[in-house]
Amino acid sequence: MKARPLSVPGGIGLSLVALVWLAPYAWMVLTSLKSLPEIVAAPLSPFPSTLRLDAYRAAFQSMPLARYVWNTSVMAFGIAALQLLLALPAGYALAKLRFKGRGVAFGLVLATLLVPAQVRFVPTFGLFAELRLTNTFTALVLPFAVSALGTFLVRQALMSVPDALLEAARIDGAGEWTIVYRILPPLLVPTLISLFLFSFVFHWNDYFWPLVMTTDDRVRTLPLGVALLREQGTGVRWHIVMAGNVILSAPVLAIFALAQKRLLHAITASTS
Amino acid sequence: MPLPSRHRAPPARDVGRRELLLGAGAAALGGCEPVSPLSRGRQQASLWFTYGGRNREVLEHLVQRFNHAQSAVYVKSVFQGDYYEGLAKLRVALAANAGPALSHVVGEIVPYLAEAGVLERLDAIGAVAHHVLPELGQRGSWVGGDTHPLVSLPFNRSTPIAYLNGAIFEQGGLSAPRSWDELRDMARLLTRRERGRTTRYGFGCPVDWWFWAALVGQAGGHVAEPNGDITLGGEAGLRAVDFWQKLVLEDGSMKPPAGRDYNAWEQTNQDFLAGRAAMIWTSTAFLSYLEKNARFPVVAAPLPMRERHAVPTGGTHWVLLKSAPPAEKVAALAFVRFMLEPAQVIDWANGTGYIPVTQQAVLALSESGHFTRHPNQRVALDQLKFAEPWPWSTRLFRVQREIVQPRLEQAVLGRGRTRELFAEARRLARAD
Amino acid sequence: MLAPTLVVLATFYFYPLLVAVYYSLHAWDLLTPARYVGLDNYRALLAGGALADVLLATLRVSLTAVLGSTLLGLLLALAVNRPGRLAAFVRSSVFSAYVVSWVSVGLLWLWLLDADAGAVSALFRMLGFGTAGVLARPESAPYALGLVVVWKVAGYAMVLFLGGLQSIPPSVVEAATLDGASRLDRFFHVTLPLLAPTLAFVTTTSLILTFQAFDVVRVMTQGGPVRSTTVFVYSIYEQMFMDLRVGRASAEAVVFFVILLGLTGLELWAFRRRGAV
Repeated sequence: MKARPLSVPGGIGLSLVALVWLAPYAWMVLTSLKSLPEIVAAPLSPFPSTLRLDAYRAAFQSMPLARYVWNTSVMAFGIAALQLLLALPAGYALAKLRFKGRGVAFGLVLATLLVPAQVRFVPTFGLFAELRLTNTFTALVLPFAVSALGTFLVRQALMSVPDALLEAARIDGAGEWTIVYRILPPLLVPTLISLFLFSFVFHWNDYFWPLVMTTDDRVRTLPLGVALLREQGTGVRWHIVMAGNVILSAPVLAIFALAQKRLLHAITASTS
Repeated sequence: MPLPSRHRAPPARDVGRRELLLGAGAAALGGCEPVSPLSRGRQQASLWFTYGGRNREVLEHLVQRFNHAQSAVYVKSVFQGDYYEGLAKLRVALAANAGPALSHVVGEIVPYLAEAGVLERLDAIGAVAHHVLPELGQRGSWVGGDTHPLVSLPFNRSTPIAYLNGAIFEQGGLSAPRSWDELRDMARLLTRRERGRTTRYGFGCPVDWWFWAALVGQAGGHVAEPNGDITLGGEAGLRAVDFWQKLVLEDGSMKPPAGRDYNAWEQTNQDFLAGRAAMIWTSTAFLSYLEKNARFPVVAAPLPMRERHAVPTGGTHWVLLKSAPPAEKVAALAFVRFMLEPAQVIDWANGTGYIPVTQQAVLALSESGHFTRHPNQRVALDQLKFAEPWPWSTRLFRVQREIVQPRLEQAVLGRGRTRELFAEARRLARAD
Repeated sequence: MLAPTLVVLATFYFYPLLVAVYYSLHAWDLLTPARYVGLDNYRALLAGGALADVLLATLRVSLTAVLGSTLLGLLLALAVNRPGRLAAFVRSSVFSAYVVSWVSVGLLWLWLLDADAGAVSALFRMLGFGTAGVLARPESAPYALGLVVVWKVAGYAMVLFLGGLQSIPPSVVEAATLDGASRLDRFFHVTLPLLAPTLAFVTTTSLILTFQAFDVVRVMTQGGPVRSTTVFVYSIYEQMFMDLRVGRASAEAVVFFVILLGLTGLELWAFRRRGAV
């Protein structure tokens, strides 16, 4: 469809649309800067009377949030890195090597998309419980070591890499693993970045798996901690909850702002 | 000039990252636990707790007091959400053999945990156990509680009480209702409507199993018979629901149930504080919070009666988990002993509204004239003479959560016939 | 080369699936020994309409979310399918919600909809609607949750529709314009039919996505009031962790898996159609 230039009312309309999505974020930030009495007294007054960071201080005091941030980063980084490490050889084998059962193997990788975490958490929990590995990073990271999307995207990207290039490397004496971890990565930089960011953001946000696999502060992640800030019984302190929410969402919004194209690439690819 | 040492890459972190890349090493990061200077060289004991807000602050303050008062044990407290969440985490951790040394759990689950063999005996606590108020300890909390090994000690114990908005009640020249009929009349009288919308409900109460159990007792029944048969009160169980239905559906003088689990409790508190409910029933646990945050005088009162006076007890008991290392259990027990000393019992009770759990504490409070100055804090304590024990049943928790609670909400919202709902509930409760 | 991948797949995908079936034939509470019970767990799910209730709640949330986000996504895509900074800015704003975590979105809307001090509630009150507590009534709670999901995922539908729109050759639309078709005619007779495969694709993928909703339920309603928002995954979670019924949780997970397989079949069918055009 051909794009038409924007009229003035159209522009205003579009800006209002953006507002539907941006205003809630703004409200979140504004709430986190208020005091509780202020919030209760005037629910609709947008600006805090004075700027306070009390809510942030309280959030950090009532919970080891710094530790949660660290845990979440370690987990998300670990998963993203591991997925790349495994997707490279797997994608390579599926794209460039000829062997019996290649089709089946590829089918198996894609079949994992049919078995979401929500279906496998019960037995996996049982497995880790038996190995006494619940509440460890292993339980958080290892079950996500393979990304069907990652394997698929690496395979797709490798399809367009000429075999001659790999042959040349082999003639130069490169072994298969050298090819996988030395020769291929530079050729796949955009794909790998997309994958890494996508995976990092997804697991940074993840609530379900850490919820079922962690039991205490040692490896508890940020989404769990922030959800716990909504303490029940004696009045929810919304300014503190929103302060936690800012801490939780700011990093992914920053990644989104800086690397929108790369993220979108992985997200749209994940469906087609 | 030599490099400041922090400019050198800290080796531990380097290892951490490399191991992580290998995908296996993340567990090693458990080693970088932030260490409080206080905890150095001491026996640590982990404590899982499940309070939010004000009550959490009071508990953390007492934990800190303990950690400063001696130098052998360091108690590390971990917040686990509300009772239900905390209980889920606890049982799951026990299954994975990764539980804490100490936690506190609701009474309904203690028999189940005890029979599953995961609770440590607490006889080593010594004489303190005899100073506990009988209604609040294991003896009085469960039918025949003292015939089982001692596995629980009272921590935060409560009964439901009524809270009145002092301003509204004074204005109307009213005092606390003493019977169901009085409560119903008063609730109707105090309800305000404007243009078809209810701006103030006369009465508020979480539609929760605990308050239902109070009503069942007042209607002359028992949730479980003394022989352990879970009858859900029979006709009394139905009368209890019927009372709520009249208030919600017929009179419109009580707010329909909102939200689940502790959301509903939270909502009731907020309605009371905002003047949207003239009188509520909730736990004595919120006394201090409600008094502090209300812009009107808060008057606490005992629950009314119908056939008789009756209240269940609620709140939690300390339990020691068998799976923890022995040294940690000894350390945890030292903390429980500390918490049962009069000073802590009193500060906990005054800071929250929970009932002081030992005789010395009650005596000290009476002698100092505390209860004369704060009559509200006597209400739950006085109600203990009407307290009814829970059955020592391993199924009670499931009966509560899976069988009764959903049907209560359903019935009070007027969906489904109460009699059939409860006939089904009774069948499930007995069969399961 | 494939070995590590296959080991992970076997351990964390296929083995759990088998174990789930095995667990589902037992009664087990994690703490005391398991007991073989045959198909009792499946029977218990069917008895008293427990499963039907869960399915109904899931459908309420899911269909609200799918219909809402598809429609909104399409409208948004049509509105922002143009060059210029403003359109790009609006695209990013709408899509940003998809990137933020479910927990953030859940907490944020819980706060906005808070009956006492929530901004949206206050706004509605000012406009004269008595919306105090849309999450507190079983009649409205699943739909309110569905709308929160719409806010979160409309950007995703928009991006997919944008892709679809941009793959429509301009010449087709121009031809229609030359034939004197009005703007609405062009949309309904030219653009929409060409978007049909994308449409089918968007609806099926969002259906699968929203069927797996959990975080938003857990954060906002805990399945209530009166189980009106006890969707599939929440129900499995509750059986497993709150009620410690590993067997019943597994039986429900197996049923859930079969339903997802069905939905995926639907998706593949839509995918084929998309590929065909």
